[in-house]
Amino acid sequence: MRKVLLVLLVIVFMLPLAACQGTVNDNVGEVPEVEEVAEEAAEEVEEVAEEVVEEVNLEPIVVGNIQDLSGGASEPGKANAWGAEYAVQVINENGGINGRMIEMITLDCKNDLNEGINAYRKLVDEYEVVAIIGPPLSNPASGWVELSEEDQVPIVGHFMDEICTTDPDTGEPYPYMFLAEPSCSMQSDMMAKFALEDLGLTTFATLYNTGNAFAVAHAKPFMDYVEANGGEILAEETFTWTDTDYSAQALKIVNANPEAVFLSDYANQASLAYDFLRDAGYEGVILGANTLSLPFPSLVKNDIYDVYFLQNYDMLNTEAGGYELFQTYMAAEGADYPKANVAFGWDAVQVLVAAMLQAEDPTDGVELRDLLAQTDGVVLAEGTITIDPATHRPSNMGMYIADYDENNELRILTYIAP
Amino acid sequence: MALQLIINGISVGAIYALIAVGFAVVFNIMRFSNFAHGGMISACAFISFFFQRAFDPPPPFYVTILFTAVCGTILALLIDTVAYRRIRIKNSPKIYYFLMSLTFAILIEQVLNVFYGTNMYGFPKVFQSETFMIGSIIFKTMNMVILAVSVVILSALILLINKTKIGLAIRAVAINADTSRLMGINSSVIVTTIFSIAGILAGVAGVFLGVQYGVYPSVGPSMMLKGFIASIIGGLGSLSGAIFAAIALGLIEIFLTFFIGATEATVIMFAIMLGFLFIRPQGIAGKFVEDKA
Repeated sequence: MRKVLLVLLVIVFMLPLAACQGTVNDNVGEVPEVEEVAEEAAEEVEEVAEEVVEEVNLEPIVVGNIQDLSGGASEPGKANAWGAEYAVQVINENGGINGRMIEMITLDCKNDLNEGINAYRKLVDEYEVVAIIGPPLSNPASGWVELSEEDQVPIVGHFMDEICTTDPDTGEPYPYMFLAEPSCSMQSDMMAKFALEDLGLTTFATLYNTGNAFAVAHAKPFMDYVEANGGEILAEETFTWTDTDYSAQALKIVNANPEAVFLSDYANQASLAYDFLRDAGYEGVILGANTLSLPFPSLVKNDIYDVYFLQNYDMLNTEAGGYELFQTYMAAEGADYPKANVAFGWDAVQVLVAAMLQAEDPTDGVELRDLLAQTDGVVLAEGTITIDPATHRPSNMGMYIADYDENNELRILTYIAP
Repeated sequence: MALQLIINGISVGAIYALIAVGFAVVFNIMRFSNFAHGGMISACAFISFFFQRAFDPPPPFYVTILFTAVCGTILALLIDTVAYRRIRIKNSPKIYYFLMSLTFAILIEQVLNVFYGTNMYGFPKVFQSETFMIGSIIFKTMNMVILAVSVVILSALILLINKTKIGLAIRAVAINADTSRLMGINSSVIVTTIFSIAGILAGVAGVFLGVQYGVYPSVGPSMMLKGFIASIIGGLGSLSGAIFAAIALGLIEIFLTFFIGATEATVIMFAIMLGFLFIRPQGIAGKFVEDKA
């Protein structure tokens, strides 16, 4: 486009020159003046061309943002979208990408694979985005692995299931997919490690949703880690999206009598599962993913005790890096409690922007891909991220383990390194 | 162990029964499956949640149930007026009822989604203790309340249908609306009565589902499927058949989940429904239904 514009400009400026030259030939005595005019005209063309190129370069860089805004995970999805958009706002206020602003187009994937593909196509085909910020959902993200490679559009997100970043058959990373937090198995390994080493537990059960990639991708690695490190899985109980009563599963777990139960699903189902377990008389330890974080205490009816779960950020610590971000979100949206997803959106944008700042052409998907694979020490809402080029997942990020005190206040207990 | 499973199964079945009877009572007269019932249950769950939270200290639980039942009735009559009345007056084909009920089911859920999001709201604690024990059996307090209230409501409903004049009129309209009209029965009053009953059932079910499973826009529709299965197995339009089938469904679900797992249990339950439709399309109650919508 830029080249076509330049050629047109040259033609436009050369036409009067050619006309002028015709006149000159009729007046042989004025030839030296014509050369001067030609030189001046050429200089003018060059100057105008430079200005045009500069103007083109100052056009905003269009970045897509696909989040669940109306599906089953829309509550965290909206927070994710807010975090990404707020990050773009802050970056633009600070000069953008070497003077170029970022324009973010946010679309809804409704936590659905097909809707996710539709949103992707619209962003790439209609808006011609150079990169996409993805959701913390693996179901829709799994549909983009091949599309992003065909279109050379890098996607940075929090789709934790490993199938979104590496080919399960070959182990090779998908070239344009990048994860900005520890993957499901990394997180589950950390929780299992904490349970085995810090809590000294040896017998476990799992209760998870077989219909949710997030839940399965947490539960399976947890069981694998436990069994590989001397622990024992006494019961593996499951439910599906259509189930609302888990009393039978809870009863089986009570009968198996494990020291701890690992719950794995989104917040709604995990809260229900907790109540069913306690109602069935289970008094042991409950372990879970970050979906047991706030507002868990307001969702369950039973007393909360011996509940340990993963946390990405120390959200209530006034000295932690992300505190201000969470407070800004709560003030802006009137939220009752901080949401980690705000920082997810923020972090994904930081990773992408770091690559754009280094790029010669921040709109070149291939160059961005190469730079994203070399992400090293990029500052996030809290801590930094270094991406492993072999997996396109973070290599340096650990997780917090948290619980609830006697007043149901969330507290951070420890940090588990990767 | 078996006793514990039976109690859990009956408790789950009691909730299915409330939903199934809500279906059956409308089908009995109107000859269509009112899928908007699921949306009404969700709306009632939200109403009860906000009503309970609006007061400090919260009102007694029975007040919340009564208030929500009244709201459910108003909502049901509103839906009948807006959605079905015109179709009824024009004597339009049954497919319009079906489409309208689906439309309202989706509409109510989406309106709730817009205003409250898909997040779950935890119902305020109703009882001091969530469970109590008799011998080695654990009883969930809420389950027992659901069971007791369901028995009372459904018994009252059966008495109303079988032992009162309005019940006689309902049965007459159910058999033949035109002949009933010729005999002086005001069918509009009957339809209003039927939707009021469905509204009360949706209100009560909404409170119970909200307390038991949390309050979220799809709480009604997610349970509606099981209630619908129960009403089909029971024989569409048959109240006693729907109750019996719902309890049986609850028991089968709990036992299958316990012994073979949740995923397989769902498959088998649908297979049972298919089997019933194949072998005995009239359902348990034996009342053949020609105009199934």
